[in-house]
Amino acid sequence: MRIGVFICHCGSNIAGTVDCAQVAKNATAFPDVAFATDTMYACSEPGQDAIVAAVKEHHLDGVVVASCTPRMHEPTFRRTVERAGLNRYMFEMANIREHVSWIGKDKEANTNKATELVRMAVEKLRRDAPLYTKKFDSVKKVLVIGGGVAGIQAALDCADAGIQVVMVERETSIGGKMAKLDKTFPTVDCSSCILGPKMVDVAQHPNIKLLAASEVTNVSGYVGNFTVSIKRRATYVDWSKCTGCGLCTEKCPSKKTPDKFNEFMGPTTAINIPFPQAIPKKAAINPDYCRKIKDGKCGVCAKVCPTGAINYEMQDEVITEQVGAIVAASGYDLMDWTVYGEYGAGRYPDVITSLQYERLLSAAGPTGGHIQRPSDGKEPKSVVFIQCVGSRDRSIGRPYCSGFCCMYTAKQAVLTKDHIPDSQSYVFYMDIRAPGKMYDEFTRRAMEEYGTEYIRGRVSCIQPNGRGQYLVRGVDTLMGKPVEVLADLVVLAVGVEGAKGAGKLAETLHISYDHYGFFMESHCKLRPVETNTAGVFLAGACQGAKDIPSSVAQGSGAAAKVIGLLSKPQLESDPQISVVDIKRCVGCGKCVDVCPFQAITKQSIRGEVKAQVIEAVCQGCGLCVATCPQGAIQLSHFTDNQILAEVNALCQC
Amino acid sequence: MSVLTGKELRIVGFLCNWCSYGGADTAGVARATQPTDLRIIRVPCSGRVNPLFPLKALLSGADGVLVSGCHPRDCHYSAGNFYARRRLELLKEFLPIIGINPDRFEYTWVSASEGQRWQQVVTAFTDRIHKLGPAPRFKDAEPIYDLPGALTSLVRPLDCGGNPALDELKQQIRDALADGHLHCVVGWQQGYDPIHATPLHMRKPEDVDRLIWGPFNIHSTANMITQLIKEAQDAAMVGVKRGDPIPPAKKVGVVVKGCDSKGLVELLQEKLIDRNAVEIFAMGCNGTVSTDRILAKIGNTAARVSAVSGKGDTLTVTADGTEYTMSMNDIAQDKCRACKMPSAKVYDHFAGEPVTVAEDAVPEPAAIMAYLDSLTLDQRMGFWKGQMERCIRCHACRNACPMCVCREVCVADSREPHWVTQDDTVTNKFFFQLIHALHLAGRCTGCGECNRACPVGIPVGALKMQTGRIVQRLFDGYQPGTDADAIPPFLGYEVEEKNIPEHHIERA
Amino acid sequence: MKFAYYPGCSGKGTSVEYEISTKAVCSALGIYLQELADWSCCGSTPAHATDTLLSAALSARNLSLAAEAMKQSGATKLATPCPSCLANLKTARHHMANQEFRRKVDKLLDSPCPPLGPKGEEPLPETYSILQLLVEDYGLENIAAKVTRPLKGLKIAPYYGCLLSRPAPIMQFDDPENPTSMDRLLEALGAEVVPFPLKTECCGAAMGIPRRDITARLSARLLDAATTFGADMIAVACPLCHMNLDLRQEQAAKASGVSYDMPVLYFTQLMGIALGLPDSDLALDKLSVSPAAALQKIGKEISA
Repeated sequence: MRIGVFICHCGSNIAGTVDCAQVAKNATAFPDVAFATDTMYACSEPGQDAIVAAVKEHHLDGVVVASCTPRMHEPTFRRTVERAGLNRYMFEMANIREHVSWIGKDKEANTNKATELVRMAVEKLRRDAPLYTKKFDSVKKVLVIGGGVAGIQAALDCADAGIQVVMVERETSIGGKMAKLDKTFPTVDCSSCILGPKMVDVAQHPNIKLLAASEVTNVSGYVGNFTVSIKRRATYVDWSKCTGCGLCTEKCPSKKTPDKFNEFMGPTTAINIPFPQAIPKKAAINPDYCRKIKDGKCGVCAKVCPTGAINYEMQDEVITEQVGAIVAASGYDLMDWTVYGEYGAGRYPDVITSLQYERLLSAAGPTGGHIQRPSDGKEPKSVVFIQCVGSRDRSIGRPYCSGFCCMYTAKQAVLTKDHIPDSQSYVFYMDIRAPGKMYDEFTRRAMEEYGTEYIRGRVSCIQPNGRGQYLVRGVDTLMGKPVEVLADLVVLAVGVEGAKGAGKLAETLHISYDHYGFFMESHCKLRPVETNTAGVFLAGACQGAKDIPSSVAQGSGAAAKVIGLLSKPQLESDPQISVVDIKRCVGCGKCVDVCPFQAITKQSIRGEVKAQVIEAVCQGCGLCVATCPQGAIQLSHFTDNQILAEVNALCQC
Repeated sequence: MSVLTGKELRIVGFLCNWCSYGGADTAGVARATQPTDLRIIRVPCSGRVNPLFPLKALLSGADGVLVSGCHPRDCHYSAGNFYARRRLELLKEFLPIIGINPDRFEYTWVSASEGQRWQQVVTAFTDRIHKLGPAPRFKDAEPIYDLPGALTSLVRPLDCGGNPALDELKQQIRDALADGHLHCVVGWQQGYDPIHATPLHMRKPEDVDRLIWGPFNIHSTANMITQLIKEAQDAAMVGVKRGDPIPPAKKVGVVVKGCDSKGLVELLQEKLIDRNAVEIFAMGCNGTVSTDRILAKIGNTAARVSAVSGKGDTLTVTADGTEYTMSMNDIAQDKCRACKMPSAKVYDHFAGEPVTVAEDAVPEPAAIMAYLDSLTLDQRMGFWKGQMERCIRCHACRNACPMCVCREVCVADSREPHWVTQDDTVTNKFFFQLIHALHLAGRCTGCGECNRACPVGIPVGALKMQTGRIVQRLFDGYQPGTDADAIPPFLGYEVEEKNIPEHHIERA
Repeated sequence: MKFAYYPGCSGKGTSVEYEISTKAVCSALGIYLQELADWSCCGSTPAHATDTLLSAALSARNLSLAAEAMKQSGATKLATPCPSCLANLKTARHHMANQEFRRKVDKLLDSPCPPLGPKGEEPLPETYSILQLLVEDYGLENIAAKVTRPLKGLKIAPYYGCLLSRPAPIMQFDDPENPTSMDRLLEALGAEVVPFPLKTECCGAAMGIPRRDITARLSARLLDAATTFGADMIAVACPLCHMNLDLRQEQAAKASGVSYDMPVLYFTQLMGIALGLPDSDLALDKLSVSPAAALQKIGKEISA
């Protein structure tokens, strides 16, 4: 080979503690090195031009650049060598800045270390081979999991761009948590009024296929070509016939069905439409509470339904869809706050969650928008809001902030005053987080214009006082005194976590998730809507607690990524993937079993079983290579011999 | 390349690209001062790190090796580090048996944001290596030639009189051969003299007459299975034209002792053979012998044995006209002394009554392991140096191993990848043994055939026994070859590992 | 059933009725309490507030005695009725797991404690409250089976005090925020248990000496709540809680301006009544606030 070595000064970043000229001089003695020099800024335009020129002048067929971390400039220099006419994989980098010049000042040791790292890079390059990308077709369709505001935004943006969308929503209606809200901060807009039109757009968009009461059960395949299994739950109502007239709901005798949409704040009927603006506006039966399905008695809804849509024999159905990309927008749920025994652990009827309170505030809610105490239906005059219940609390393993509770608590305090002018609200807080536009102004209004009493301190316990009220005992840290408030109603701003079942969904999608069920993004700063699994994107609270504008922004962001991915006529594969040498493969299948992405299959080739890599799915981790006993499968650009070359460059006895 | 003498030691690091390499970068960005010794090799994932890489480095002159990856659960490739954790823990616990201080190898998890922690890890590890000093080099080790001759006690009385149900077994095989659904049945027959056996391929009922069962059916029949299945498949293809449907191959019959069946079950666990491709004939085994020990008792390795008879514990061998009586206690193979499974548990036909050993019987640890455990690290390295000097690279150990299914494409014979070279050095020969031992971790059923096959008597089985001990400890007493549905430990993982400790180098 | 028994100082003094009724009830149930010979103060409030080492040493001495006594007699567990002794004995044992701490404690003792076993096993016994042993070891059904005079008609507020279930990792008994063992025990005796949200609220503890006003206010709150929730009496398991609620009830009344007339009984006294034990075993006459009126509800006459 004829290898060119370039030692970058990076100004004084490297040259300050490494004798770059000496390293270049040492490199000329290495086998196959035809040219070695030091350069001021290799990544700059003149620096890159010098590399291109040297390749041409010295007929180089491989380049080593010793400079910063490859995680920064490997793509840059690969493009440089490509411009010089070489295959971009005939290039190696030695990290002599982050790993050498920046971590010590001993020039002799650093120069020696830099020389050795360059030697390692040269030895690897000597075993490198040109790699070529392949192109393959993709399905111009996206699966959006979750019909909350983030999923809705992602679906609409993709559909408007001409991409077919399949939206899968677990509940019988889309809208997610936003549909449960009464008003939204900081404008106190009616939530369903602003969300409603978007929901209708989803239902009516010609490019969107909406599958409600459905769940994703299996995903296989790879970016551009996913095969998704979706289970459509039996609703016992034929939605192609149901007009959403609601007659069934009026006549249903089973009136003690738990009402999930209303956060179990009041009963509903076994057959119902969850809320007036539901999309799809179709009825569904809860089979555990339907007398016909459980006991064989009743059947009233079937009798009164004008279109004959009821079908008590309906079964779950599993369908398959082929999609090119997936957006996970499964949202959040409130954590189980009953771990707080000091707040009653759920035993006290008038200690409720913020979402439950939201349903009380809502005109479409179980109390018609009248704030009533669950215990006796009376209007509360003294309402205590407790923030950070299950957030920022290391003692129960929830150290993080849930992001929007300070804002919605202020909103709820404002609304409480609107509903009950002679009420007094108290908010126990640790800090006020109001980072968005007009947010701080809003919380200030809650304090100054609406007379909400903000107390900086936590609540140590809530005790019913036997006379219908609750003694809320906390502390005012600014005054330095304990405080006690007699409350008619206590509203807890409960911390959020990934939606129920998020972990299982993550495993189905082959993406990572954390302890709290939030999905892991590719890079916490620079790639918040991508995952490390090609073709799977994130939007909304499933990636981390966030408010509505951020969720909508991420919905559009994920859509942009999907559009960018699927707008290419064909997708290009990364050639740093595993390849099977079928001469050496004995078909034992160990690689097939360990591949985390199921990217390897067993094929019959001339009557013999051999492993074969699905190129588009392989992510290039190399686990298969470490597993294969005879080394029949090798990861291009990180083969055993290439890594051994680096090891042997260092250890030679 | 030599290190900066007097200042640095050779420390090699394998860092995963996504987390740990990023963490090292973060440390650099923060100008976190570190000792200069470490040389970093970038890999895509800690799961890419074949334990043979750190092992090669340590045998070739590295004083310390560090592997670092993403925290478990955060692997960029979702599961790579789960596998790495098991395999690298195995390596760490394996090193002492070959005389390398396990403190010289460490694996840890550092995320891309943990720059300060990376600085602490590197500083602590480098300090540790400096305190240990330069590593003893295998090539410079002082060879030790002693080999323990101690015999461990028998966990149950052995009987060299054969099994009275042999006729029943023979009839079962004849009946099975009758309708032609079997390609052949492999067992044992007398070899060139009464104390040597060779494999017997029974195809016709008359062949079955030659089947023997007793102290001399030593070879593992499981070793022959994968080849015979292939043979049966090839036989089925004779006369088949291109495009015709491929007819199903005939089944292969195999006669098994308890130890042989473990090999079969392990092959089933790894789905290397199909249960429907084999028909298993089993009978209880009363122990086999080491012909070397018999010849040693006779005192002449070239003795011409003309007759043999066994009853109970006593074997009578007539060689060169003289009768020698010997006890099974003195001549039984090492593996039979500790055997707790003389009868197959997976079979299609069983002749006679199963031979069992009491559940609570505790066999003595193998003599070679007790011996190695008693040596210092330097002595162990010297021991292996001394032993491997005799190795002639015949690869009989590999060929006798039932789990070695790679045969012609064995990594020892390849240049792609080039783990083992043609260099005629003891280190190179030893490296092959280490590859074999690590490849068999969690798979070795303890059949001892590798020891038996070695023409120069190197106790290569000890290396596999070491991995076996580690596997038992890490995976709640897991025994390869006993449960056909179990997943071999290094082909699986748990998100939380009960028995694998966290190694916090920086908290030394 | 045989338990080693550490009575605690107040058992012989201010809470003698607790001691008497505990012994009587256990005897009636067939539980043998083997009082530790030469037991000494556990350290309790004064020691644990000033010197952890001294407090642990005082307790460790008793635990050593118990270890020896239990070996000789075959008693299976160490019991004490007083929650403060309980907390001190348990905390001392917890700290003694640290070898360095153990060494320092042993230096303060005439005879050092038996050492930890080869695998770190602790020879000093764990201590349990009488309440826990009755509920968990003896069993509520077995107690219910022996009730001859059910407390039906009596509304009782169970008051646990701050110590019985907290701190949770050390006390390891019942729920720290909402314990229900005494509730269930009282129900097994036939009583009606009123919901009592302040069941673990502080009564003022030893503040009764330096800051009587605090004890008065806190105890008043408890008495208020018991009254509001409709209780006829309060059941307690702690000598200090009893003192603050019963002996100092007048001080509480003065602080709140309300007259309570709320009898406060040890749960063992209530058990004794339900088991039909004679009054001499119950020492009801030691109570400052007479339970006579309340007990009339279940047809029990006592000399006021």
